[in-house]
Amino acid sequence: MKFRILREDLLLPLQQVIGVIERRQTLPILSNVLIEVEAGRMELAGTDLEVQLVANTDMEGKESGRFTVPARKLMDICRLLPEGGELAFDVKPERVSLQCGKSRFILGALPAENYPNFEHGDPEAVFDCEAQLLRRAIEKTAFAMAQQDVRYYLNGLLLEIRQGRIRAVASDGHRLALFEDVVDGMPDVARQIIIPRKGVLELGRLLARVEGSASVRISANNVRILFGTFSFAVKLVEGRYPDYERVIPKTACRVVVVDRHELRGALTRVAVLSNEKFKGVSLEIGEGLIRLRAQNPEHEEAEDEVPADVSGEAFAVGFNASYLLDAINAVASDAVRMSFTDANGSCLIEDLSDSRYRFIVMPMRL
Amino acid sequence: MSGVELLSAPLRMRIRRLPPQLINQIAAGEVIERPASVVKELVENAFDAGARHVEVDVEQGGVRLIRIRDDGCGIDREDLGLALSRHATSKIASLEDLERVASMGFRGEALPSISAVARLTLTSRTADVPCGWQVSADGSESDFDIQPAQHAQGTTVEVRDLFYNTPARRKFLRAEKTEFGHIQTLVQRMALARFDVGFRLRHNQREVLRLQPDAEEGGRPERIGALCGPDFLEQALRVEFEASGLRLHGWVGLPTFSRSQADLQFFYVNHRPIRDKLVGHAIRQAYQDVLYHQRQPVYVLYLEIDPALVDVNAHPAKLEVRFREGRMVHDFLFSALHRAIAGHRPGRTASVVAAPATENPAPLAEQPQQSQQPLFRVAETPQRPYLSSGDSETLGDLRRLYPASLPNPTETRAEQEIPPLGYALAHLKGVYILAENAQGLILVDGHAAHERITYERMKRQYQAGGIASQPLLLPVRIRLSRADADLAEEYGEHLARLGIELRRTGEGSVLVRSVPALLEGSDVERLVRDTLADLREHGSSGRLQETLNTVLASMACHGSVRAGRKLTVPEMNALLREMEATERAGQCNHGRPTWVQLDTQALDRLFLRGR
Ligand SMILES: Nc1ncnc2c1ncn2[C@@H]1O[C@H](COP(=O)(O)OP(=O)(O)O)[C@@H](O)[C@H]1O
Ligand SMILES: [Mg+2]
Repeated sequence: MKFRILREDLLLPLQQVIGVIERRQTLPILSNVLIEVEAGRMELAGTDLEVQLVANTDMEGKESGRFTVPARKLMDICRLLPEGGELAFDVKPERVSLQCGKSRFILGALPAENYPNFEHGDPEAVFDCEAQLLRRAIEKTAFAMAQQDVRYYLNGLLLEIRQGRIRAVASDGHRLALFEDVVDGMPDVARQIIIPRKGVLELGRLLARVEGSASVRISANNVRILFGTFSFAVKLVEGRYPDYERVIPKTACRVVVVDRHELRGALTRVAVLSNEKFKGVSLEIGEGLIRLRAQNPEHEEAEDEVPADVSGEAFAVGFNASYLLDAINAVASDAVRMSFTDANGSCLIEDLSDSRYRFIVMPMRL
Repeated sequence: MSGVELLSAPLRMRIRRLPPQLINQIAAGEVIERPASVVKELVENAFDAGARHVEVDVEQGGVRLIRIRDDGCGIDREDLGLALSRHATSKIASLEDLERVASMGFRGEALPSISAVARLTLTSRTADVPCGWQVSADGSESDFDIQPAQHAQGTTVEVRDLFYNTPARRKFLRAEKTEFGHIQTLVQRMALARFDVGFRLRHNQREVLRLQPDAEEGGRPERIGALCGPDFLEQALRVEFEASGLRLHGWVGLPTFSRSQADLQFFYVNHRPIRDKLVGHAIRQAYQDVLYHQRQPVYVLYLEIDPALVDVNAHPAKLEVRFREGRMVHDFLFSALHRAIAGHRPGRTASVVAAPATENPAPLAEQPQQSQQPLFRVAETPQRPYLSSGDSETLGDLRRLYPASLPNPTETRAEQEIPPLGYALAHLKGVYILAENAQGLILVDGHAAHERITYERMKRQYQAGGIASQPLLLPVRIRLSRADADLAEEYGEHLARLGIELRRTGEGSVLVRSVPALLEGSDVERLVRDTLADLREHGSSGRLQETLNTVLASMACHGSVRAGRKLTVPEMNALLREMEATERAGQCNHGRPTWVQLDTQALDRLFLRGR
């Protein structure tokens, strides 16, 4: 098979597909990209057996065929060729040669038949939504996912569809982030799936530049999301996600509204002298202000104050500063609302202007 | 099926009394596992008879012959038959005696058991009779034919053809060399129990071991050197600790002198060699933090305790004991050893001599102690005339390296001032600090030493600061056995003090509601399970502390000077002074040594000087 393609038409999709291809492989073919050419279209696919990404791109020509070549080498070659160049491919069973101007390369190929097939299965729930909605759902929650926790289901993101709504929930057991929104035309099914951490991060990265709508297809053990020129699929984590609704505080007896930027500034400053491992910072919440204090094992101390709108009695509470910072960084409005049930209970953090997302952080006893 | 036949046969039999020989053979099954077990029982009898000398002759790994001769009190002619009958003993007479037994034997089973599985001849003479008497036995406890025999005061027991009549047992015997190896280890173990008894061990007429009796304490190092190797005492710390009626003494090897096998571990309770889980656990815990993974500590330790507080009747071969106050003994052992190991500082004992040494320096006990001199000095650059700053070497520097050959007038005065790890001369390859002290050269692994210093400081700070705990938003449910759940409840307060808060939620389940903040993200369930397992076995657990320490250790590693960074002389001297002031500074956090001494003799040897 012979075909020609513009450098840019190949490079951009290739750069995306590379993201799911693991650098170090025990199975050689997994470091290759699968390329399928058919009737003026090219499809590039990469997988690590957990996640699969397929990108489509246009090209000229009538020939068709499939082959695999080392993905990173092909990308490096494309990247280093002059802009606007045209690449001429000549595909033989074991070798693929490509030429662009005076530059020629011969890459080793592995048979496309041997490329692992990603079984999608029959979709059980399908819906369309804005791609940006999915992106926001991930952006507001992914930071709270666990990393390598023995409770493996926490190392992922819960996606829940129910009653015309979509919800994303992530928690590492110490804090929790929740995003929820209404989706028009959502089918009347209720489903909970857990997307593994790597898939979530990869999907978030891909969605960053996509406009328009996305189509989500959930099947028994994977979810496939089609958007723009991409088809992204990921195997689901088996297991039940904990009953997160139970930990969302219902009644607040103390509510604090504080400027997000001021609180962030003060937290970051005092955290310099907190324990380097767990970043304990104590907040004394009194009339009209929050006083923040930190002390490290060397007994060095930091103190700061921010004005706040406080209702309820004065009290003190400790936090891991990083958890609190993660949550308030995800807030978009200028002011954040923190609601407490009691000093030992969890703290609910909300955006004043956008009620679609909420964060819950467990205080720490210092 | 064969299982059915196996079950059906005995069902039809009537009950009957077993003949004495068979009873004794059954008893032998428990007590006499191999030739070494015979030696053990007979040497114990010699100890109990007050012997000063024990001679052990072995042929063909003990299968053909074991002969043990002692010069103890002997057995009266009239008692010879009884000595060979089961449940007959001169050592206890009542339950009260059993509960505070101080002799090695008390079961009255050894001689009849041995006689039932071997050809046994007993010859004995007491102090006040004109001749000895001899009798043979086969375990049937009848027809004793007692004959006069030549014998000095004391007893000889001859055991031939072990297991000749129990082929099943014989099959399990190993090669002659292996069986003799067991006997030799056993005799060594027994010899360390009683320094006042002399020993001679021969195998196939060849003398393998000869140890003189020593009433004085001074003779001990010699026997220990002979049995544990000449290096042991150089590399060991002397332990002497007494509290609440318990006394622990002996030697523990430096952490850097550990072994891959647990073959140099001797523990005695009132002179009885034992292997005990609780003891092993307490010792391991004391070495925690200083021993390279999987390595085995080396020790010879004697615990003296009121006999009423140990139950020695816990194991047919008397290899295990049960402490009535297990928890107290555990804590006592742990704190005694922990203190000894933590307290080890440079300058208190000799360290490794990294040179082709052949002679052994004086044993540790006699080592002139330098601990009298202040260990801690302000970490300033010492203004010594011969120490130029920076890297430039002066003649003076070189001269200091060879004090023996080029006497220096400042030497005597200087030696009194030199701290144990001396003063830094140079930083080699960005890793090793070369220093000089009164004895010679010191080499320090700068990164490893700094890591330990940082780690010890972090541990102190962490302990002083109170434990921050992180309540869990999603509590962790753990399924446990009912007994473990009870245990978790019982130790709830203890665990809470360490930052783990549990709530019993059912017969066999607990909910972990908070964890130490330092351990967030670690496997809580496993930590709790392992801790409970420790509590169940030993009544105490250092596991939580250990896990916390692991986190602190990795923090310390990141917070320490990297290998490769060039240190200035003042920095190096500061580090040396800190090492002298830090507990456990002799080993890095992974148990490797942080420093070695090359003394002048070792240096001389390198250059063949004085040969
Ligand atoms: N070497 C010996 N010297 C003196 N008496 C001995 C010796 N060996 C055995 N006996 C006597 O024989 C008895 C039985 O010995 P043994 O069967 O080992 O039982 P135990 O040691 O438990 O009493 C001892 O109680 C002791 O009186
Ligand atoms: Mg005995």
